Amino acid sequence: MSRHPFHRRLLKEYQSLSQATLPGIKLVSNDENLTNFIFQIRIANHNLYPDYERYYLSINITQDYPVDCPQVKFIIYESVDDDKEDSDSIEIIEKSKIPIHPHIYSNGHICLNLLGEDWTPACSIESILLSIQSMLNTNDKLERPPDNDSYIKHAPLDPKRSRFVYHDDNV
Amino acid sequence: MKVKILEWKSFATWHWDLATSADDSGYVEELCGICRVSFDGTCPNCKYPGDDCPIVLGSGCTHNFHLHCILKWLEQESSKGLCPMCRQIFTFKEPEQTSDVLINLKTLIDGHRVMRERFQQGNEQEFEAFGADQDLQMA
Repeated sequence: MSRHPFHRRLLKEYQSLSQATLPGIKLVSNDENLTNFIFQIRIANHNLYPDYERYYLSINITQDYPVDCPQVKFIIYESVDDDKEDSDSIEIIEKSKIPIHPHIYSNGHICLNLLGEDWTPACSIESILLSIQSMLNTNDKLERPPDNDSYIKHAPLDPKRSRFVYHDDNV
Repeated sequence: MKVKILEWKSFATWHWDLATSADDSGYVEELCGICRVSFDGTCPNCKYPGDDCPIVLGSGCTHNFHLHCILKWLEQESSKGLCPMCRQIFTFKEPEQTSDVLINLKTLIDGHRVMRERFQQGNEQEFEAFGADQDLQMA
């Protein structure tokens, strides 16, 4: 694949993101074109999200970025625990979870206005990360969206193709 | 002593004269909010900075952009004609000479205005219809 048209902007964003200055957010991996990122999010001191839990967010930059918003969803990330010294021991594969939140579906799709109609090119990968982190941080309900079961049955692969209704400003 | 000049080379620098950077503290590098490249650089599609890749000054708000960048945004229906930075309706200061691209920009902005007005009118009509129903029931 060729370079993204806004490669210079992506490069700047990548440089600041890879310096890991956002507490609780870590860049796990990215491709050469800087269009696919995986971030690890940790929520500290929270009743619903234990400190040891790590959540993984996939961010795909579309060809029309930054005029078009990226495709963002939580993913189940498998990390192999290779701390063991004994190489013969069975590898422990740890699976991450999709955080429970009234606006996050169990397939990882997120209902957030910033990822839809309220996106502007002035927003960035960093602003997405921060709003999702704060969305989790301010949550006090251990529940999925009310239409979770029906949504995940028919949800498109790309969350951007879902038409979310933004009605709840409380969480 | 007599000095004879054999050869000389001249240099010049330039930068866009933007209202916000015209303070006494000197030149501050400002970035386009869309492509995050300096105004004195180009939008991602252009090669040479300057008149070929001009800057548009916001008049409703104080935000400026590369003309090509803001055009890209306003071409999107989802932009609703709003400034990416402050979400106010985007209008621009018209320079003395108007180029084809600026006319294009103006058409886009006007298009968004028409869409907004149509949307508002639709709302009012619904409201009136609702009001009329109410009257009927009241009577």
